Amino acid sequence: MKKKLMSVLLAGTMVATLAACGTTGTTSTTTSDTAAQPEAQTETQTETQTETQTDTTATTEAAPAATETAEAGAVRLLNGKPEINDQMQALAAKYNEETGNTLVVETIGGDTNASDELKKMYQADNMPDIFVIEANQAANWDGMLADLAGEEWTNKTGFELTDASMGTIGFPYTVEATALGYNADILAAAGVDPASLTSPDAWKAACETLDSKKDELGITAVFGWCAEPTNLGWSSGTHVFGQYLDAGLKADDTTYIDLLNDGGKIDEARMKNFAEFIGMMNQYSDPALLIDGTYDNQVAGFKEGKYVFITQGNWCVTSPSDVSFECGFAPYAFEDGINTIIAGPPSYWVAYKDGNVDGAKAFFNWCAGDSAQNILVNDAGLVSPFDDCQYEAVNPFYKSMKSYIDAGNYSGWHTMLKKDGLQNQTCNVFADYAKGKLDADGFVSTMAQVISSYYAQ
Amino acid sequence: MGNFSTGRKIASFGSLILGLVLLIAGLALSITGAGDLILFTMNIGGKATPIIFGRGIMCVIGVILLIVGLYLFPTLKHHRAIINFIFLFPLLFAFLVTVIIPLFLGIGYSFTDWNGIKMTETVGFYNYTRMFKQPAFLWSILLTFLFVVFNMILVNLVAFLLALLCTSKIKGLGFFRAAYFLPNLIGGIVLGYIWQFIFSQVVTKFSGTYSMLSDTKTAFVAIIIVYIWQYAGYIMLIYITGLNTIPGDVLEASSIDGANAIQTLFNIKIPMIAPTITICTFLTLTSAFKQFDVNLALTGGKGSVQFLGSYIANGTEMLALNIYTTAVINNDYALGQAKAVLFFIILAVVSIIQVRISNKKEVEL
Repeated sequence: MKKKLMSVLLAGTMVATLAACGTTGTTSTTTSDTAAQPEAQTETQTETQTETQTDTTATTEAAPAATETAEAGAVRLLNGKPEINDQMQALAAKYNEETGNTLVVETIGGDTNASDELKKMYQADNMPDIFVIEANQAANWDGMLADLAGEEWTNKTGFELTDASMGTIGFPYTVEATALGYNADILAAAGVDPASLTSPDAWKAACETLDSKKDELGITAVFGWCAEPTNLGWSSGTHVFGQYLDAGLKADDTTYIDLLNDGGKIDEARMKNFAEFIGMMNQYSDPALLIDGTYDNQVAGFKEGKYVFITQGNWCVTSPSDVSFECGFAPYAFEDGINTIIAGPPSYWVAYKDGNVDGAKAFFNWCAGDSAQNILVNDAGLVSPFDDCQYEAVNPFYKSMKSYIDAGNYSGWHTMLKKDGLQNQTCNVFADYAKGKLDADGFVSTMAQVISSYYAQ
Repeated sequence: MGNFSTGRKIASFGSLILGLVLLIAGLALSITGAGDLILFTMNIGGKATPIIFGRGIMCVIGVILLIVGLYLFPTLKHHRAIINFIFLFPLLFAFLVTVIIPLFLGIGYSFTDWNGIKMTETVGFYNYTRMFKQPAFLWSILLTFLFVVFNMILVNLVAFLLALLCTSKIKGLGFFRAAYFLPNLIGGIVLGYIWQFIFSQVVTKFSGTYSMLSDTKTAFVAIIIVYIWQYAGYIMLIYITGLNTIPGDVLEASSIDGANAIQTLFNIKIPMIAPTITICTFLTLTSAFKQFDVNLALTGGKGSVQFLGSYIANGTEMLALNIYTTAVINNDYALGQAKAVLFFIILAVVSIIQVRISNKKEVEL
């Protein structure tokens, strides 16, 4: 009997130890979270016991050592750009050094999509205080994001994200631009003035000139344009498609995105002009890249001077040492007089309403300041969205971007407001057009059908 | 039954009751979202630190006490059954948590407008009617069935031929067996990327056209090729085992009777390994149904096709990938769940048929 009891006790201890070990393991990942929730809301109080609402799991007491490391007021930030993870860690260290506050940066890397990971974090009750969203995801988080209106940094930028029901919710951490990036040296050698490329006719003439001087200029094709849908669907379906929505429009003009989000309607006349412009790009592209290419081939070809134009944005060439020539942006002038590039923050940092909002606000104000911008601009290679930032971005496209932004010739990233997943539909239409399965009219009618049926689902 | 001491009875009932109370309390705290129980507040390092009796610990202690109570339960008649239950409990519990509960939660979600973050209302069968109105989804179902049929035949054919080769008397048998089996050890995603490179960078050099993957029909063929390449080696091993079980005396007798190789194959070998063929057919059937990783890595489901009068942009997307894109990429989790429920029903039916047929065969032997 005693032996039996003993063995049961031993088994029980083993199970308990295992459980404790398991839970300690999970607390270490949520360390900052437990400390970031000091405002345990004492809502339900009974006479003898106090039940508190905390974000902590049942294991707080199992890992006291872990909780000591993060002070109250620590802020957790979910970074969606793995390429700047090191700089973000440096930023966190600087923040701690200057203010004494703690910022914990977690990076979602590679193919894992931040919005995906956030859903898991939300289900696990493990939300970071600051996380990254794209503009059209704001609706998913309706009522869960903090209103940042009136914060000091909002006076220094025009790029913050505002939402009809939640107010000012998004902190812009970078500005990105997309249009047709060009190699200024080749254009100069061919005698083409990029500033003149503001009408379809000017484009056509420039393409003919460049194409006829291919051997002389040492280029493979005029455009480094890739319509391959499997891996580069985001480029054609989101970015190039975005030019239909925004090219030539002022940054706050939402004419075509409103039309699109009204049940998937398109302006057929505008789409037709757009289709003809894309047709011209298809015609003067490297056929090997156009249908089977990869992002790496496309960017490498541009960097090596094999293509005059590239259909990417300022993210494709980030360091001046990558290229031996001057870079700039030319507009997708598929209608006369289009002279804008798309520029703005493609994604934003937002503060989770039930998280450490004050800590997040403090961090945002500091982040808009000089020392933070120094790291983000000079080390991470981002382009500052703040007016008073004294640092010139190192990005080779920066000069061109700035000239468009200063002149007010920039359009918004309204392509981020289209229905989730639409790019996976439209990129196939681009691919079929590139393969010659569709002509310009077929492109327009197929686009119209694909978009409206996707919105109807 | 009077031969149990009062102490044991008290210990048993006491721990049963206490365990039950703790378990229910812990679950109640979790379900109502009330948080943890603060026993008292202690002054540690100048800060008031609440000493918490967590809801998780509460549940664990509750369960342990319940088990102890059951173990000590004053009965001789049911003691063996109780012990059996206690030993099975960890497995049953894990099965419940990882399979049964998610299954029912998933079915529940399919009746709501859940978007992965929150749900505002239940929508009845709306998701189920909606999914059958999507030509893209119907195309995915059709494509999956096509894929299954093609694969069931081709994988088995190729695997059987390889097995014949690997049971014949050629040199380097071990090498061939290992070489054919090796692709199965490479994960589907990696395999997909390797073949993507082969199709778009290597094959195009010889064919002079653009990649097979950029056209829906040829891309579908490409997926089948890669799948056969991956799976045939595995099925081959099963066939080899089958072929090796054929008694030598039967083969010897047939050769004495003057049967040639083809007659031996069709009249002796194939009938003798009929059960192996059934097993392999069903293995390829269910795994082809669930095809996801190669599909994702190779084409991502892209490709255009005219179907039911409309242009469909997911020409090579099979059922499993369609569910994934619906939920994760298009952010329509509830619809994805509804599709997953249908997927579950299809797979369940296939599996039940499989079990029935296998059982019949076993009886016949």
